[in-house]
Amino acid sequence: MMNKTTKATFSSSAEEQLSTPQRYHSLAIMLHWLIALGIVFMFASGTYMLYGDLSKAEQYKLFQIHKSAGVLILLSVVARVATRIFTHPPALPSGLSGRDKRLSKLGHLGLYACLIVMPISGWVMVSASPFGLPTIVFGWFEWPHIPGISRNKPIETLARTIHWTTASVFLSLIILHLGAVIKHQYFEKINLIKRMWW
Amino acid sequence: MFHNLIQLYRFTVQTAFTCLLLAAPIFGNAETINTNHKTSQISFAGEHAGMPFSGKFRSWQAQLILPPSNTPKIEASIDLRSAKTGDRTYDETLTEGDWFDVKNTPKGQFVSQDIQLTEKGYLVKGELTLRGITQTLEFALTHTSKGLTGQLKIDRLAFDIGKDSDPDAEWVSRYITLNLHITR
Ligand code: HEM
Repeated sequence: MMNKTTKATFSSSAEEQLSTPQRYHSLAIMLHWLIALGIVFMFASGTYMLYGDLSKAEQYKLFQIHKSAGVLILLSVVARVATRIFTHPPALPSGLSGRDKRLSKLGHLGLYACLIVMPISGWVMVSASPFGLPTIVFGWFEWPHIPGISRNKPIETLARTIHWTTASVFLSLIILHLGAVIKHQYFEKINLIKRMWW
Repeated sequence: MFHNLIQLYRFTVQTAFTCLLLAAPIFGNAETINTNHKTSQISFAGEHAGMPFSGKFRSWQAQLILPPSNTPKIEASIDLRSAKTGDRTYDETLTEGDWFDVKNTPKGQFVSQDIQLTEKGYLVKGELTLRGITQTLEFALTHTSKGLTGQLKIDRLAFDIGKDSDPDAEWVSRYITLNLHITR
């Protein structure tokens, strides 16, 4: 009898959590903010290493850091996508209009796409570069080049164009992403942050 | 007693002379040095992105038959895979196709049969082969307390080293210094 009750209570609370969680999975939250920080660093380092007033030595070192950090982000993104597939995200707040719900789904999809395309295009660029410099992640382990495209100028150029173009799209999406959170907070009094915080 | 001492003295001097005479060919004639990375050193130095780098070949051997031999000769064989700078990025890049291309040409060779005696040592003129390209080089070998030293500058582009990656020596210096420290 007692056993039965315990079981029932447990399963109902578990079900409740499965169907209507209030926030993203703890792992998803952690990865979201970790990657967010990483992306800020990638934009800063990527831009500075190309357009900053740096000596050749500093430029070379920053390139290696950008590559190393990018590889770690790629690995985090893989973990993030896996988390997204294997956990249940909270349902979108009922206060959102149907249009906003569709837009947010589209926006998140775009952000995921950028998260994948950025590091992959960087990886392709580095693998196809005529320099053939290896990527040694923070002097820690070697990240291999993609085989079959070494010293391939056309592929390198294509990857560079994709890296740059995606970076611009990504930046626009990030601005929209932040803008949406602020808009819903101030105009509709919907607190979205707590869905992505513990 | 006095007589005995004189005899001992004579004997000693005679023995010493005999030894010297027997050893004369070793000292007086051509000097031959067989050496390798264990006792001697071939190191290299240059710049990348304005930062100096240096390294050494961890595996090589050489034979030097020096004047006054009538047939002087230097022969050296260097394992290019053994070039180490201590920086993983550099070391791995060095082995690649555009640099030492160790897959196709794992060894570098130096051969000289033109060695002149100079005041402080020798003047060596010979041929260095890297990546299957042979170039004539000239450098001095100078006597030191331990053996010989020499320094030469190599134009890496003359051997097509890094020709695709950095043909204008924008990143890696065009001239690489080789330092030789030969121990007898
Ligand atoms: C989420 C990850 C990444 C972000 C947000 C990012 C961002 C950027 C940005 C903003 C630039 C400057 C683009 C320009 O103005 O042309 C850049 C350049 C670059 N990135 Fe990334 N990056 C990421 C990952 C990677 C990875 C993983 C690699 C390599 C393993 C990489 C290699 C490069 C290289 C080599 C450049 C220089 C492009 C050039 O030479 O024109 N990036 N990155």
